[in-house]
Amino acid sequence: MLNLGSQWTRTSGGLSRRSLLQVGAAGALGLSWPQVLRLRAEGSPKPHKNVIVLWLWGGPSHLDTFDMKPQAPIEYRGPYAPVPTNVPGIEICELLPRLARQANQYAIVRSMHHDSSDHGISGTIGLTGSDSGAISLGGQTLPGRVQPAHGAIISRARGFDPRIPSFVTLGGFLHQGRKPITGEGGGTLGTQYDPFRLDYDPVEGVKLPDLSLIEGLTLPALESRRDLLAQLDRQTRAVETSRAMDKLDQFYHQAFSLLTTTTGRKVFDLEEEPVPLRNRYGRFRFGQCCLLARRLVEAGVGFVQVNWSSHVEPIEDTGDGGWDMHDRNFIQMQDRHAWMLDQSLSTLLHDLEDRGLLESTLVLAVGEFGRTPKINNKAGRDHWQSCYSALVAGGGVRGGQVIGSSDKLAEYPASRPVTPGDLATTIFHQLGIYTADLTDYGLLPQGTVIEELL
Amino acid sequence: MRSSLKTLLQRFRSLRSRSLFTSGLLGVCLCCVIRIATGAPPKQPPVRLTDTGFFLQRPVWHPDGKTLCYARHEGSQILLWVRDGNNEPRKLTDRDLPEYDASWSPDGKQLAWCRVSQSGAQGDVDVWLIGADGKEPRELLGSPGRLTHEESPAWSPDGKLIALTTTRDGNQEVYVVGLDNQEPVRITQDPGIDAHPAWAPDNSFVVLATNRWGDFELAKVDPAGKELVRLTESRGLDDYPTISPDGRWLAFVSLRTSNFEIFVQPLAGGPAINVSQHEGLDNFPAWKPNGDLTWVSNRAEDGFDLYAIPRDQLLQRLSTSR
Repeated sequence: MLNLGSQWTRTSGGLSRRSLLQVGAAGALGLSWPQVLRLRAEGSPKPHKNVIVLWLWGGPSHLDTFDMKPQAPIEYRGPYAPVPTNVPGIEICELLPRLARQANQYAIVRSMHHDSSDHGISGTIGLTGSDSGAISLGGQTLPGRVQPAHGAIISRARGFDPRIPSFVTLGGFLHQGRKPITGEGGGTLGTQYDPFRLDYDPVEGVKLPDLSLIEGLTLPALESRRDLLAQLDRQTRAVETSRAMDKLDQFYHQAFSLLTTTTGRKVFDLEEEPVPLRNRYGRFRFGQCCLLARRLVEAGVGFVQVNWSSHVEPIEDTGDGGWDMHDRNFIQMQDRHAWMLDQSLSTLLHDLEDRGLLESTLVLAVGEFGRTPKINNKAGRDHWQSCYSALVAGGGVRGGQVIGSSDKLAEYPASRPVTPGDLATTIFHQLGIYTADLTDYGLLPQGTVIEELL
Repeated sequence: MRSSLKTLLQRFRSLRSRSLFTSGLLGVCLCCVIRIATGAPPKQPPVRLTDTGFFLQRPVWHPDGKTLCYARHEGSQILLWVRDGNNEPRKLTDRDLPEYDASWSPDGKQLAWCRVSQSGAQGDVDVWLIGADGKEPRELLGSPGRLTHEESPAWSPDGKLIALTTTRDGNQEVYVVGLDNQEPVRITQDPGIDAHPAWAPDNSFVVLATNRWGDFELAKVDPAGKELVRLTESRGLDDYPTISPDGRWLAFVSLRTSNFEIFVQPLAGGPAINVSQHEGLDNFPAWKPNGDLTWVSNRAEDGFDLYAIPRDQLLQRLSTSR
């Protein structure tokens, strides 16, 4: 038996072309048979901009990153000082010194807010702009169908590219405890718009989880399978000439090209990058994923989401390093999270700019919420959805500014409140996806464009 | 296949690491020889002592000056490792739940360490003791049934007390715990955050980081908690204080230059000197018993490792910088 992703089928004779195609596409892209029937409407050309979302899962503290309150009482302010940035009047946390030196490249939104303090619901809101179909910590599923992730909408709008997928997620499936988070995929658009999922491991390198071949089956062997398929193709093409099958072929060849051809595999090969640049991104999972994200947008991927972690919990809570710091918030920020984010994000922005890609690549760094302004009794901060921050750069966004403000304790927006839906709408706007397009896709508008960003 | 590759990679790293450890010690000796022969301090970068590439957290030296214990991050695990001279590092325990923040007993026979007792404990961290051979683990201080964290243990030089932090009273404070009665005595009283205690060699006081004056600054307090004296005043955090074996110098990490650097200042008063001076991240200073100063850095840019400035070179640098 051959295991390609979650699909099992025989490798010997007797396979139908249909089943081989299913194995190929499903194994390579994690799609089931119905998903493979990707029949995309031919849309009007869109501005060729790409998006990289750095999804800071678990929810970073806004008071210890981009919205410091040094004048707040000691029970709120935390142990870090604000530092000036290279933009007069803008200060951020001293734990982010590199980002402080390039504030001209990004805008900070300090008035993000929504209504749920639950990771599951907030995660779904952040990823889709809606809480429909979200699963709470208690296991309750909210009414409505799960809406498509932003990447899925962009994938839908961009149309099919035979060379490369439009929506890629770097990292595992998001969890709250053992409960999965809804909203990472195609939602109402269909699972064919789910992301192509990769990951990076500091020891193993780039991981292609959907191509988890059984031991002994090598890429050359897989390519032989392609030869076999090509023969079958020729034999059966005469009888299967429907448009659907043509599309299916495209999708299959896209996946196969990406994973088995030299040029396709090069996209994932970080060894192609100069060692000093790899080091500047940081020799840890998130840093190398940021570099991989840049390579992917460079290759034409429209939307790349880098998940900081799969679990919300930090390592000391037996998670995989998320930002959910109910306890020991400051020691974890200082020892690891802050400098990792600072190093990787600052390098990503520099690298994109150096390559002339920043103007065409919108970078968003945000979590599902912020953290309680008042420090709790475990030197931690709890969930806080009423006010938090997002960093937005590139893609035509005007850097060197702060949008919105919070009150004196960073508890609530004091001016220009912004929702995750507004942020998504602004991203779509920059990519030429407007309300009429969403309506065409059977979707509702999520918010209004943040004009000040543009 | 993957696990075999991983094992091979680890063995290769281990061989390189042992070799570097040896050459690092040789480098330290060489510096001393050059110093004696020429009378001038060699202007050399810090000596690299390890080559693990993993993120190392808060290394501490055994009294023998050869053995090292540190927390190592690997994937989503943080576990304690012991490295005995040139021997291959070994895990301190056979656990797979998080453990970190070790401190050697003065006789080198035991360690105090932080132990997460169960998965998803959300802050339930306790301080335990364990033999240097990884046997006989036992709890020193915990809070059964409560989500508190006890951490950052520091064994007093006379072997009688352990300073640590705990949130048992609703705020992170510094306590000292007697090894005989295991009773925690609170020695800081402030709504701010007090962290990372370390002892003076003569047991007369504990240094710590506190944000009571704004961002993290360093202070010292007597073991009874009667008098707290401020030691640093800078823009930018100062943290992870540690006192040299001769009691003269205070080493710590600081962000006063907008970069994580290791600073050393005289305990008797005087300016703090940046001894790491590198754009990389330098953190977690630790003194060797012979007075060499070590810390964790990613200056080689292929990951984190332990670096050292020999005592002789350090003293020269400090004297010329003042």
